[in-house]
Amino acid sequence: MLYDLIIIGAGPAGLSAAIYAVRKKIKTLVLTDSFGGQIVDAPMVENYLGLPEISGLDLIEKFRAHAKKFALEIKENCEIQKISPMSNDLFEIETDLGSFSAKAIIVTSGKKYRELDVPGAKEFDGKGISYCATCDAPLFKNKNVAVIGAGDAGQDAVWQLTQYAAKIYLLNKYPDLRGANIQMQEKLKSNEKVEIYNNYEPIEVKGDKFVKALVFKHNGHGEIKEIAVNGIFVEIGSVPASKFLADIVKLNEKGEVVIDQKTNETSRPGIFAAGDITDIAHKQMIIAAGEGAKAALTAWEYLKNK
Amino acid sequence: MIKVYSTPTCTYCVTLKKFLTEKGIKFEAVDVSQNEADLQEMVDKSGQMGVPVIDIDGQVIVGFNRNKIVELLNIKD
Repeated sequence: MLYDLIIIGAGPAGLSAAIYAVRKKIKTLVLTDSFGGQIVDAPMVENYLGLPEISGLDLIEKFRAHAKKFALEIKENCEIQKISPMSNDLFEIETDLGSFSAKAIIVTSGKKYRELDVPGAKEFDGKGISYCATCDAPLFKNKNVAVIGAGDAGQDAVWQLTQYAAKIYLLNKYPDLRGANIQMQEKLKSNEKVEIYNNYEPIEVKGDKFVKALVFKHNGHGEIKEIAVNGIFVEIGSVPASKFLADIVKLNEKGEVVIDQKTNETSRPGIFAAGDITDIAHKQMIIAAGEGAKAALTAWEYLKNK
Repeated sequence: MIKVYSTPTCTYCVTLKKFLTEKGIKFEAVDVSQNEADLQEMVDKSGQMGVPVIDIDGQVIVGFNRNKIVELLNIKD
């Protein structure tokens, strides 16, 4: 099926772009792996204009109602496999839900959590390895678990786990805990359930059907340790979800899409980008929404001449 | 029979249950953080440890996969 515009992603940037597009009567399709994007992970949002205090989940519901009002055509749980520029100035997007064609594309696929990359990490994903402490911490009542990554998110995961797990091992690749929340760091250091391994990095996840152990190594003297755990929570930051764009548009060294900051144009005519996936300075929800609107207006200008 | 396995803290679980309720679908909600046997049942059924899990007459879906659920339940979205 041919669309004027396909928007990839349905976070603030993608949905805002879609609403601007349909109000301009552009035939638009939104493809996304998850409606709302990263907002789902925000327990409370306090800096979105007009909504002084709202949970990420409730904000997503508001977005959904807004999308419904404009009858946006959205395909959810859709994984993008490939974008191919065609000779007739169209783009073909291959996904696990089929292929779609468009005259223009706005990419707003945002960021996703960085996956653990050691032997066993893929095999035991969902089988003891979790990327969502908020979701899965209650499943590890009285169990021993490890948290990999000791930044703000890792510290927060440990804190949530102290309510359930028997013992929490925190792997920190730096000599001491870092991050903004000093109070939290003091709380974790004095909690008897928590054991912090500074300067250690994971090297392997072991198990049979489910996770049984984590092997890790000192990044100075090289000592290797193995601890028995049932769960491993991974909090090692996020990366732009731009894998499928590698050969299509210019990315910077972080994997962000390089855009013209005024127009949201990428290095390839007809493909625009907005929000956290781009090389803009600030990754904020309200900025992403504005960027999405900008991209849609530029795409509208582009489509007028097609 | 429809059974939803979830934890109280998981946002996708809340979304899934809200979605089913809105669509008028009756289901049994199981909080796997409360009972070891329920948790084990979910792990046995789905072969994994993440929530939510929904069991629709023996068809097990991991995560809030809106498309699949809509298709299996034959509901209008």
